[in-house]
Amino acid sequence: MASRFWTQGGSDTEEEESDIEDRIEKGGAGETTANAPGSKYLERNASDSDDSDGQKRVVRSAKDKRFEEMAGTVDQMKNAMKINDWVSLQESFDKINKQLEKVMRVTESDRVPNLYIKCLVMLEDFLAEALANKEAKKKMSSSNHKALNSMKQKLKKNNKQYEELINNFRENPESEEEKFEDGDEDEESDGSGSEFEDPLQIAESSDEEDEGEEPEDDTADGAWEKKLSKKDKLMDREFKKDPSEITWDTVNKKFKEIVAARGRKGTGKFEQVEQLSFLTKVAKTPAQKLEILFSVISAQFDVNRGLSGHMPINVWKKCVQNMLVILDILVQYPNIVVDDMIEPDENETQKGADYNGTIHVWGNLVAFLERIDNEFFKSLQCIDPHTREYVERLRDEPMFLVLAQNVQEYLERTDDLKSAAKVALRRVELIYYKPQEVYDAMRKLAELSEAADGEKDGDEPKVEESRGPTAFVVTPELVSRKSTFPENSRALMDILVSLIYKNGDERTKARAMLCDIYHHALFDEFSIARDLLLMSHLQDNIQHMDVSTQILFNRAMAQVGLCAFCVGLIAEGHGCLSELYSGGRVKELLAQGVSQSRYHEKTPEQERLERRRQMPYHMHINLELLEAVHLICAMLLEVPNMAANTLDAKRKVISKTFRRLLEVSERQTFTGPPENVRDHVMAATRALCKGDFQNAFDVINSLDVWKLLRNRENVLEMLKAKIKEEALRTYLFTYFSSYDSLSLDQLTKMFDLSDAQTNSIVSKMMINEELHASWDQPTRCIVFHDVEHSRLQTLAFQLTEKLSVLAESNERAVEARIGGSGLDLPLRRRENQEYAAGTAAVGGRWQDFSFTQGRQGSSGRSGRSGGGRPLSLGQAAGAGYSRNRSGQSRGTGGYSGRTGSGMRGSQMDASARMVSLNRGVRA
Amino acid sequence: MASYDLTPQIAPNLDRHLVFPLLEFLQERQLHPDEQILKAKIELLNKTNMVDYAMDIHKSLYHTDDVPQDMIERRAEVVARLKALEDAAAPLVSFLQNPNAVQELRADKHYNLQMLNDRYQIGPDQIEALYQYAKFQFECGNYSGAADYLYQYRALCTNSERGLSALWGKLAAEILMQNWDIALEELNRLKEIIDSKSFSSPLNQVQSRIWLMHWSLFIFFNHENGRTQIIDLFNQEKYLNAIQTSSPHLLRYLATAFIVNKRRRPQFKDFIKVIQQEQCSYKDPITEFLTCVYFYYDFDGAQKKMRECEEVILNDPFLGKRVEEGNFSTVPLRDEFLENARLFIFETYCRIHQRIDMGVLAEKLNLNYEEAERWIVNLIQNSKLDAKIDSKTGTVLMEPNHPNVYEQLIDHTKALQGRTYKLVSQLLEQAQAPAQAAR
Repeated sequence: MASRFWTQGGSDTEEEESDIEDRIEKGGAGETTANAPGSKYLERNASDSDDSDGQKRVVRSAKDKRFEEMAGTVDQMKNAMKINDWVSLQESFDKINKQLEKVMRVTESDRVPNLYIKCLVMLEDFLAEALANKEAKKKMSSSNHKALNSMKQKLKKNNKQYEELINNFRENPESEEEKFEDGDEDEESDGSGSEFEDPLQIAESSDEEDEGEEPEDDTADGAWEKKLSKKDKLMDREFKKDPSEITWDTVNKKFKEIVAARGRKGTGKFEQVEQLSFLTKVAKTPAQKLEILFSVISAQFDVNRGLSGHMPINVWKKCVQNMLVILDILVQYPNIVVDDMIEPDENETQKGADYNGTIHVWGNLVAFLERIDNEFFKSLQCIDPHTREYVERLRDEPMFLVLAQNVQEYLERTDDLKSAAKVALRRVELIYYKPQEVYDAMRKLAELSEAADGEKDGDEPKVEESRGPTAFVVTPELVSRKSTFPENSRALMDILVSLIYKNGDERTKARAMLCDIYHHALFDEFSIARDLLLMSHLQDNIQHMDVSTQILFNRAMAQVGLCAFCVGLIAEGHGCLSELYSGGRVKELLAQGVSQSRYHEKTPEQERLERRRQMPYHMHINLELLEAVHLICAMLLEVPNMAANTLDAKRKVISKTFRRLLEVSERQTFTGPPENVRDHVMAATRALCKGDFQNAFDVINSLDVWKLLRNRENVLEMLKAKIKEEALRTYLFTYFSSYDSLSLDQLTKMFDLSDAQTNSIVSKMMINEELHASWDQPTRCIVFHDVEHSRLQTLAFQLTEKLSVLAESNERAVEARIGGSGLDLPLRRRENQEYAAGTAAVGGRWQDFSFTQGRQGSSGRSGRSGGGRPLSLGQAAGAGYSRNRSGQSRGTGGYSGRTGSGMRGSQMDASARMVSLNRGVRA
Repeated sequence: MASYDLTPQIAPNLDRHLVFPLLEFLQERQLHPDEQILKAKIELLNKTNMVDYAMDIHKSLYHTDDVPQDMIERRAEVVARLKALEDAAAPLVSFLQNPNAVQELRADKHYNLQMLNDRYQIGPDQIEALYQYAKFQFECGNYSGAADYLYQYRALCTNSERGLSALWGKLAAEILMQNWDIALEELNRLKEIIDSKSFSSPLNQVQSRIWLMHWSLFIFFNHENGRTQIIDLFNQEKYLNAIQTSSPHLLRYLATAFIVNKRRRPQFKDFIKVIQQEQCSYKDPITEFLTCVYFYYDFDGAQKKMRECEEVILNDPFLGKRVEEGNFSTVPLRDEFLENARLFIFETYCRIHQRIDMGVLAEKLNLNYEEAERWIVNLIQNSKLDAKIDSKTGTVLMEPNHPNVYEQLIDHTKALQGRTYKLVSQLLEQAQAPAQAAR
């Protein structure tokens, strides 16, 4: 696309060539390609320049790029001349001066490129022409006129320093030709990326340039005046002196000035970064360097102020590098303390490297680190997951993990365990969702990139040396740039999580706990995950947490549900997942996409908030798998349940969602072959209702989501066994009234089960009084009892039924009026107890040693998941989910209020200054 | 069979001295080589002051009369320290041994302290010395002395932390002296303190509960009332949670207590669920027996487990306590357990069958045919079982056991009354509240 554009640009300019010819001796047709729209386009795609191969090329093509840029600006100027637009001409002039400095850097020569000189000549001529033409001058608008005048002065001043060259040029205009040839070699390489490509280098180069020029010509200032703001001018003046003359005071003064300009209108963000990075080179003491580095990083954070956009990736990388340098300094000088609580002494940083006492420097490592992580997260949210870019971005993760590891180690050394816990949480959050395979891949990648880094590191010292004279405080790389990942992600999690449990604050601990649960569930350790969940009592107070933690909770619950299913605990799995699906907004609850709601139009504000909460694609839980598992769990529980209660089907509903789906599918006149997950499960349900287990299993087996499971064979095996069991139960429920007795052998043959299994299943049903039957042991038969009531008895039962309905509706009415929700549940529970006691009494003479489990088999089963624990899992999860949902439906107000204090809050408010960022963290 | 030995799990939760009885038992059962046990004993004794005992063991272990030098040195050191502590605590001890002086003590702690300080020059230092002395006595194996001193120390101490450790010490001493009644009292006292809200951290509290439960095993399986009380203690929610979180092996003792205890049916159901849930973290034949009978209805499996249970019980230091009767010793708990377990199987079996072959039944009950018949006849006669024996076909016929319709009806409506009553009272409350507010 880019190249097509370029060629277009080229042809355009060729046309124009003739017009300009009279002013320029020789048009650089090929070079004028980078015209104004072109550079705009490039600016938009700034992040493109991050391509790894692009970087490799940088060294080779930088020169060309700079020239190209310059040529583009020249072209712009030509255009401006044509329309006599002095304002834009003035702008372009400033720009070209700026570009000149870059060109000088890459060419590494003192010689000013001919292109520039040519441009100056052209301008001079045009200016003279304009001044001569009095009539046209009068017609000009006031702003244009003003620009013309200032231009006149500027040009005069500027041209002085190049006088000789200009004269040379006028004499021999051809000589510039050669320079242009390289210009078009590298057309598609991205020019404008260089603008912030390497602020450090740029600043440095300007510095070098300054020094180079200074002895020759002191009046050179004039040139700089135009391209840099006032502050820069000052800076340059100050630092153009001999390096030895630069004192702490001058640097400090300069630094204060730059920082003061932060956030003001007209302060270029990149410029500021450049200036500050330059200052780090001339800092006199390590403490000062540190202080300035902190500002560099916050300036880098400033680069992107939009709420939803993310920080440019190369700036992000720079930022990480800067953080590592900070750590280097801190490790090298253990007496320097970073703190954001105290206001350090004005001249604290004056104390040099040999100072023995502690030096306080203002800053907050954790806040920076978290911000960097947030930016990483945001960038993943923004980048399209199906592109290569996304993958490239993911490769930066080890880099961040290294930084986090180092920061954590440093914090642990300085005994700031609370902050260390926060950093550990960031690491945990990058690891918890990774299955072992992904983790291994990441480890390998980290090792690979380390090897690559090693090569780069080899080069680095040289660069450092060449910069030598400027960097007063040289910091060796003390902090390892390599990460040490344990073999097993579990081991890493254990280390981090235990640190957090010991030292973290409430929120950190809760999040770490959720990640831990998720990770355990991912590794199919259901009982551990469940115990953690129950012991932490997270489900009790999750609704008081911030939204992102709630999302994390939902994710953990979903994963626990999947895990329960995989280990064969159907009821538990259903308990975990059913609430997630009951509202039909799974996507929203898991933050994996925005679900459209038919009834609530979302305000744009709401939508934006929601978008900002989204999980990056690589962290998603596969929704199809989740749905399949949920529906299958529901099917296995609901089908026998429906068969058992054919008469009053409405009363005991285990899964409302499932029932609704079933109704919909039954209403269809024609049922086609199953297409999606839902269809498959419905087809299986129809088979299962008839007791046809083989068919049911085959349908479910044909789902292709199963390939996502790690131990697929085992799970399917388990599923088959479960389906058989439920098929048997369904069959017995459905047809027992037609039989007087049934032989065990026949049943085992029908359902392909072993004797012991059948025996166990049927016995369980008998004990739970789901089936009114008993074994005839000598003949191995099930004998069904006739438990028909007489008409009077039936009527009496109906009466009592109605009475209890009446009582219930009374209660509900009162409840609605009073609003006391506490009434219902305890009552129901007590009733259950009484009922159980009642059945025990009915047992009569068995009372002494009878074991009645109560008639409510289903209620017993749903309670099984929780058992003797404080809260049954299913219930608890329900509470968490429903709260969350209500929170979400409450909409913007509730959310923005809550997130404001949270971590993501500071992320959303990207324009926050460093101070407020820190406050956000502390809050 | 050693695989079901719980000593390694239990020992860390016991006092050093309390582990000795367990080791003695193991030595008797010869589950492990003698040498290992003796070594373990020396290891234990190294940290205590019972140097003489350690020397004896050392001699028998290596079959020599020589004793290592460090033991001799340690002995001298212990004796010297004993002397020093005795001197330090002497004033208070002599005061306490004087019956006249002791009568001056009153129930008021502050008064006592004041009085001791004024009239006998016994200050906090001496009281502290008494504690140290008592502890040292305990370490030396003089449990009765330690128990006495600790009792008196508790009467005088003001530091609750110290008081608590004194209580633990007293409990250990009583257990080691086998004064089960007193030990039980101490246990309950300790339990109250642990359950009180003022306890430091929840983690600490759970740990204390675990300790308490482990120590209580000594008492409960020796005290005549213990088997009921163990259920009372262990089955409390807080304690059950502690068991589930940190020491699931205690489920064995709770399960056994449930099996031998006939009157605990209501809690039993919940307990089965707990066992079911903890299957992944702990199982042994006793818990497996329960799951077989009450969860899988696998009676053959239960049968097998029952036989294994017998072994487990015999080899467990708490469960396998022997009673000497004349020439032969019996393990009362084993017999009781087997009898009850058999009943469990039979009861469940009968509930789901209407006709059972006597031969099969006898096999399932681990009895021979005649025994089984007699056993069933007994049950029928005691009207525990609604059945008849058909001796021609050799089967037991269960009487169909349908819930009485009338009782069912009563059950259904019973709750209604309570609910309505509650509803009305709630309504009245509501009505009154605004009325009062209006006034």
